Parts: sequence; structure tokens; C-alpha cells
Amino acid sequence: MFSDDNSDIMEGFICPICKSDQKKLESLLQHFEDKHSEEKDLVQTFRDVFKIAKKKILNLDESQLSKTFDSTLKPNKSFNQLEFVEDNQDIGLVKDHIEYFTAIRNPRLERFATETNKLIIRLNKLLTNRPQDPQQIKLHEQNLVPWIDGKLVKLCPSCAKSFFLTRRQHHCRICGSVMCNECSNFLSIDDSFSIINPSYEKSKPNSSEEIILKEPEDSIRLCSHCLHLLENRKQMQDSRSVRPPIYNLYEKLEKIKKDVAPDLIMYEKIITSLYDGNSVYTLADAGALRGKIGHSAEILDDLSKKILGQKCAKGSREEALQKSIRLAAIKFIKENMLTLPPIPLEEEIKKIQQKRITEFNQKIERDRRLAQEAFERYDLSGNAGFPATSRTTGSAMTSVDNWSGYQQQTNTCDPLVEQINIIKGYIKQARDAMRFEEIATLEQNLSELQHEYWLRSQQKE
Amino acid sequence: MNVIKAIQLYIDKMIEEAGPGMKILLMDRETTSIISMAHSQTDMLQKEVYLFERIDSGRSNERLKYLKCIVFIRPTRDNIIRLSNELKSPKYGSYFIYFSNIIPRTEIKALAECDESESVREVKEMYADYLCINSSLFSLNIPTCLHSLNWQQEALERTVSGIIGVLLSLKIRPTIRYKNGSQPAQNLAKRVFDTINKESSLFSFKPPENGVPPPLLLILDRRDDPITALLTQWTYQAMVHQLLTIKNNRVDLSNVVGVPNELKEVVLSAEQDDFYSKNLFSNFGEIAVTIRDLIESFQKRAKEQKKIETIADMKNFVESYPQFKKMSGTVNKHLVVISELSMQISKKSLLEMSELEQDMACRADHSAQLQRVKKLITEERISIEDALRLILIYAMRYERHANCGTVGLLNALKARNGRTHLVPKMLEYISQSARNELFNTTKIDAVKLTRNLIKGLKGVENVYTQHVCVLKDLLEEILKGRSIDQQYPFISSEVPYRRPPTEIIVFIIGGATYEEAFAVHQLNQMGYRIILGGTTIHNSESFLEEVITATNGAPFKHSRSLQAFHNASNA
Repeated sequence: MFSDDNSDIMEGFICPICKSDQKKLESLLQHFEDKHSEEKDLVQTFRDVFKIAKKKILNLDESQLSKTFDSTLKPNKSFNQLEFVEDNQDIGLVKDHIEYFTAIRNPRLERFATETNKLIIRLNKLLTNRPQDPQQIKLHEQNLVPWIDGKLVKLCPSCAKSFFLTRRQHHCRICGSVMCNECSNFLSIDDSFSIINPSYEKSKPNSSEEIILKEPEDSIRLCSHCLHLLENRKQMQDSRSVRPPIYNLYEKLEKIKKDVAPDLIMYEKIITSLYDGNSVYTLADAGALRGKIGHSAEILDDLSKKILGQKCAKGSREEALQKSIRLAAIKFIKENMLTLPPIPLEEEIKKIQQKRITEFNQKIERDRRLAQEAFERYDLSGNAGFPATSRTTGSAMTSVDNWSGYQQQTNTCDPLVEQINIIKGYIKQARDAMRFEEIATLEQNLSELQHEYWLRSQQKE
Repeated sequence: MNVIKAIQLYIDKMIEEAGPGMKILLMDRETTSIISMAHSQTDMLQKEVYLFERIDSGRSNERLKYLKCIVFIRPTRDNIIRLSNELKSPKYGSYFIYFSNIIPRTEIKALAECDESESVREVKEMYADYLCINSSLFSLNIPTCLHSLNWQQEALERTVSGIIGVLLSLKIRPTIRYKNGSQPAQNLAKRVFDTINKESSLFSFKPPENGVPPPLLLILDRRDDPITALLTQWTYQAMVHQLLTIKNNRVDLSNVVGVPNELKEVVLSAEQDDFYSKNLFSNFGEIAVTIRDLIESFQKRAKEQKKIETIADMKNFVESYPQFKKMSGTVNKHLVVISELSMQISKKSLLEMSELEQDMACRADHSAQLQRVKKLITEERISIEDALRLILIYAMRYERHANCGTVGLLNALKARNGRTHLVPKMLEYISQSARNELFNTTKIDAVKLTRNLIKGLKGVENVYTQHVCVLKDLLEEILKGRSIDQQYPFISSEVPYRRPPTEIIVFIIGGATYEEAFAVHQLNQMGYRIILGGTTIHNSESFLEEVITATNGAPFKHSRSLQAFHNASNA
């Protein structure tokens, strides 16, 4: 993979998928697009990283200062300690009023609800079999709702002005009460339909009912009280059913934020485990997960842009809302996704693992020497060699390499070996599906099984 | 006992109860500042609170039914009416209503009757009714609270609810002491005591274990320690307030020459700014060294790291960039603030000023001090405000001295067109006990004498910070378990505890100062649990405003000899 000369430069330009050396940034990108075009998102993340890096570097030629700040700031911590070591402070007193509130509100609402329901039933009746002739309409209406006798009412109940020739009495078509023309409200037939039937679609010009409804004056006269009740109902219906596009986009956005959270934690876990020299996760795992996170970041960015692009009036609250959401998304990406620690270099990891192996071997060597000395001391040498120790060394070596050494023995029909192979299969599957939690448990099982296998083969000998 | 934490817990709870989804926060003028002291706007964005609206100013009629609305307001009459109107024609999908203090049941009923569309989900009282400044410092943002040396009614009401808020948010039912002889302190103590008894169901906390003394609420009066509010300050937070004025954690730098646009107004919050919170109480020398080191290493690194060659370099850079940006922003901000402070110090000769102030505050040496004051106040480099401060300190200190030279000094100030009328006002403002104890040069107090003697033997560590505020001495007395019953009696007949209280809330009528906050902080670092609050937090300028309003309408009793200077018009 690496040629020995100037390998330090080439490290950075290795294709993460086929591991071929591409010498230059441009050729690497080219190679990526040519050979691995199916990994589109990875290419994109790759590019983004370079794009951002280029931009930042051109604007500002100082780098890696945050570490300096950290180190210079840290010593101060001890010199001005926090005030008293914080005990786990509980939230202060909270007094709940909702019980009393609902006790007042709900009976009232129920009363309104029954009243509104009554009105809606009447409205429904008024609208069914509604005749076309104005004269007939009046009859039809009076038939359904008994009108109050106009002689009993001297003044308009809402504005308290007396009725005479030019200020004539009118009746609310729904409750039958009297009012003057100025105090009357009108509900269009179209609106009325949508009130009695929430799923009613506003009529299209070519629909069959349209012929009846086309008359401009065709609407229902009603008093402000009834209108208020009906409008309230309509609003409640609307607010329940209306889901503007921004709402749906936002839901998607939050879902991705939620989904990516465990990935972020997992990624850090993998990186630390790699640096610790553990072999549970591989470099490719880290790379794949990083790609996935990068992909989520892109989607987040895209969704928040879409939200920002929703149509709205200039200077409106809606516009402010869209801007805020976009801002929050950018901040989230910046703080949680762009600050991921980099993937360690393969050589580095190899070095760490090698170091662990050497340490392990040294320990075994030391133990063996001690044992040897003990044997010699008690004059027991020659009785038994130490095949066990050499074997341990071997298995420890292979364990770092995912126990590849044992694969040769797959054709034995030992149930343990079979089990081991099955688990290996599972690990491969889990890895393909990026279920890293599972990998960890499976690896654990695997090493237990292998240990068992080793013990048994030990006994046989 | 951390007041910032207390407010944050309340806000987080409100947001949590509203659940996931886009949210708007509806507040009034005061709750807006309360929230802004505890959380930054970006914090709120991360909690899905995207819009902020004031209930008491011009509101648009736009309906956004897909938003959840968190209402956090003070339970005032006006607010309830506004909220009722909002509920009658709701603009948002659902409402989560929180009041910052105790609300009468009748108001709840009125609101319930307006909720015809069933959009209210929660109605609660959460007692975040004060502004948290530091973890152990709060304010009520009442710029002036007295008139004719007694409470302004509105200020008293606000103060009572503010203190009740602090107690309930920390779940404390205290015993109450007040400064004997101060009418405002006694009134306030009585009102708080009555409220606690009236709302005993709220204050039904688990009583302290046997033998553990209950927490103490100590109500003091600024008039007993006017000196502290006048001295030049040398710790970071106090200096910034004295020289640049902090208002709701914000500092206006628009008058500073050569400040970049984004730093015209900076936020100094102990909660959001690490550098600030670490250096709140550092003195100016320390902080100058800290920031210089920071900049030196900054520059060194910048030179070293100019070349980015490998991809690894690039990646590292990109990854540490956001952090770097944040950090450099902070440092930049403090650099501007600190250089402005340092500029003012040299321009106004504040070191020289401070030395004389401290000398007068701590040591009686009349003739020498008078000569120095006389010399300084006529010099051009001493600003007219600073000259006034010197005269004020001198006039209080030597009010009854046989050779008192106040009139002469005032004539000199008058020649410079200074606000001479403030001196007689100040003499009317200070309390009898300040006269008798703080500035007494004739009567000799045995305890104080020995203490001063010991101090003299130890030598003064720092000339500019030798003054000790009355509060610190008092708290030390209390914590040592000395009896203070004579000067600070209980409001009710309490059985006095032998052991000193472990938790103390101090409230200063007429405003606390950052110097006192520092004193409290020092004690807290020793393991005590003390919280300081005031009607406001003063610097010398705002304190003088307080003095003018407080003495308005009060007759001149103590300053008849200064009659020529009683009116502002002759300045």
C-alpha cells in the first residue's frame, strides 16, 4: 500500500475504499468519481471537507489556536475556583393551577360545545335541499328555524337602536333572533359547508353544486353570537388538520437530529477504542460511520435551507421563525458534526496494536522466565515443556487480527468451531449494516468462544 | 444555593413540559430580562424555542397555529388582561402558562373563562422573579426605591415579590432580621414575614433537623454603608460596572474609540463566558497578566502555524475551527474591555484617586487628607465626577470635625460647575448608624480600635483594596456566632439559636455593589452558603441618582451649614 519514500505525504491521499494511492487531491477526487461513483455521499462529504478547509485557510492563515487557548486558560481554573462545590440543586417550588383552571374551563366548554353542535345541525338542515328561488329559501329557512316574533322586539339587541322604516328587522337564520342590518353577519355557503363537514373541499368552479352557489348574495345571515361559536369551531378544526409544509419539514429535521445523536456517541467510542489499540472496531468502521454522519449533516443542511426557502411575507413572524430554525441547524452541524475527531491513520493504529502485542509478549516471556526459574529451583525442569505459553502467544497475536488464524480449521465438525464461524458471519452482517453496538457484543462472544476452544484443545493435548 | 441554577431549572422545566416541536416564548418586559440573564438566545434555539415575543408591546396578528406557546409573565393586572385577550383569539396552537409569582385564584378563573378554544395545557407558578447575575448575586432592577427616605409603594411591592421568589425558588423558609432603626428595612421585613405566614401552604418545607438553625434572611439598608458604593473598584466585574456600566449583563461600548461594529455592545455573562466567570473577582493586575499571556501565545502560535501543508493539517484545522472561533471571539471581547479600562485608569489618574479614597475610608488623618483633596479636585486631569466623589467621601467622613473644610471644597467644585447639591443630599441620605459607627472620629470603639491595631501591625497588602465593606464585617460576626440582636433584631419573637445559621440571604435596600458580591464570594469559597441581593446593583453614578430620589421631599436636617448648596439650579 505504501511505498517507502515520502510516505508521509501519500498518507493523506489514500482512497478510503480501495486503498490505492492517488498522489494528488485532484486525482483522488477524480478517482473517487470514476471508480466509486456509487458512494455519492461519501464523495460529497469528502469534497465538503476540502471546500471548508480551503475557505478557512484562505481567509485566515492562523490555525490550531484553540489548543493554545485551552492550554493557557486551563491553569486559571484552579486560581479562581467555582463558588462552593455545587450540591445537586433541585428545581424550586412549583405550584400547579391547571386543575382549578380546567374545573372552570371544561364545563363552560361543554356548554358551548352542545350549543355549537345544535347550531351545526341546524346549519346542516338549512343547507340540505336548499331551494334556488329567494322567496322559497326564506320559507325553507323559516320552516326549519322558528323566527322570533318581530313585534316583541323594539330595539336591536346588540346595538340598542330602535327599528323603523329604514332600520328594518332581520332574523338570524340559525337561532331565529332579531337584529338590525348593521349588526348582521354573513356566512358564505361555501364556508358553511366546510363547517358542517371538515373534509369538505372548497368547491371547484366546475363542480355540480356550483350552479346553485354562484349567486353573489347567496349567503346565510346570522347574529354575531352564532357566528362566534361557529368560527371558534372552525378554527379548532383547522388548527387540528392544517399541517403547513414547514411543519412537515421541521419534523423530518428533528428526526434526523435525533437519529444522528447515537451515531455521534458511537463514533467517539470507536475512535477511542482504536487509539486504545482494541481490535473490536476497524478503521473502515470509523470511516463508514463518519460518512454516514456527514451524510446526515448534509440532509440537515438541506432541510433547513428548504425551511428557509418557504414562501412567507417579508418581515413576518414566519420569516423570523424560518431564519431561527436555519440558524439553529447550522449551529447544530457546526458544534456536533464538524468537530468530530479525525480518523487515526492506519499506520498509527498498527503501531499502537504492535506495541500492545509486544507488551503482551514481554509479559508472557517474563512469566515464563519466572516459571522456568521456579522449575529449576525445584529441580522439576525437563518434566514438561511449555507448549501452552507459545500457543498463548500465537493466539494473542491472532486475536488482534480478528483470529484469522483459526479460519483454516473451519472444516472440522467441532460444534464450537461452527459456533465461532456463525458468530463471525453475524459480525460481518452487523458491520455491513453499521450496527456497531452489536459488533461489540458479538466480538465479546467470539473471544469467549475462542478462549473455550483453546482451553479444550489444550486439554486434548 | 445558586440563583443562576435556580432560574435555569425553572426555564428548562417550562420548555420540557411544552415537549418537542417548534416553540415561541411570550414574555413581558421584566421576564425578558430575567430569562436573558440565565440563558443566551442561542441556548434557547437549541431547545427549539425559535421565536420571542413581548406580550406588552406591539404584536402582529399573524396566526401560527403549528407553534407551541410558552407564556412566562409576571402576574400583574395588565398582563392578565393581555393574556385573556390572547386566549380569546389564540394565535398559537397550544399554551403553556407560567407566572413568575403568586397569582390570585380569581385571576385564574378569569383566564379559564377566556380559554374557549381549549388551547391551554399548563397553568403554573414558577418563582423565577428576580435577575440572577452571579451564582450568589441577584438584583431586582429597581433603579431607585426610596422617596423622602421611605419606600416608594411600587418598589416595595416589587421587592416583596422578588424576595418571596428567591425564597421559593431555593425552597427556604427563613427567620428574618432587619437593621434596627431603618424604617424601610423594618417595613420590608414585616411585609415578607406576613406574606410567608399568609402563604404558609407554599412555605411548608421540611424544617431543618434538630439543632440546625434555620436559614437567615437579613435585610439591610444602603444608607448604613454609603462609602462602599462610591469607591473606585479594582476587581474585574466591579471595575467594568464602575467605568463602563453593566446593564442586564450587557456593556455598551459604542462610545469607545475604534471598536469594531460587532463589539459595540458586548454580553458579559458569568454563565456563558468562561473567561469572564474565571476572572469576575480577579483584580486588575492579575487579569492584565492573564490576557497578555493569552495574546502572546496566540501570536506565537499564529506565526508557527502559518503553513498548512498536509491534509492532516487541514483537517485538524477545520475540526478545531469552530472552537477556535468561539474562543478568539471571547478573548477579543475582553481585550477591548480591558484596554478601555486601562485607558480610563490612566486618563483619569484613578490610581492616585483610589489611594486617597482608601486612605480617607480607612484612616483618620484630617489635615493631610484635606490638603490632598483640595489639591486633586482643582486639577484638570481629575474628572468632575471623580472630584465630586472625593468631596462626598470627605464630607461624610469629617462631617463633625471641628475644622471641617467641606464648604471650601464645594466652592472649588462650584468653580468647575460640579453638582455641588449632591453633597448636602448625601449628608441627609446617610443613616444615624453610619454617622455613629462608620464615621465617628471622636468616640472610641474598643473593639474597632484593637481590630485596626491588628490590621496596622499586619501591614496593608494592597493600598487600593484595603477598605472592607460593612457587610463583610457583619457577616463574619454572624458566622462566628456573635450576638447581633441589638442592631439586627428578629421581626418576630424567635427563639435565638446559639449556633450561627449556615445559609444566609442578604438583601440591601437601595442597591448592593459588586464589592459586596466579592466579599460574599470570598466567604462562600470558605464553604459558607450566602446569597446577596439588592433592589439594584450600583456603581457610584447610579448610586448618586438613588441618593437624589431618596432624599427628594425630605427636609434638610443635617446639612443646614451647607444651605448655599441645597439647590441644583445654582450649579
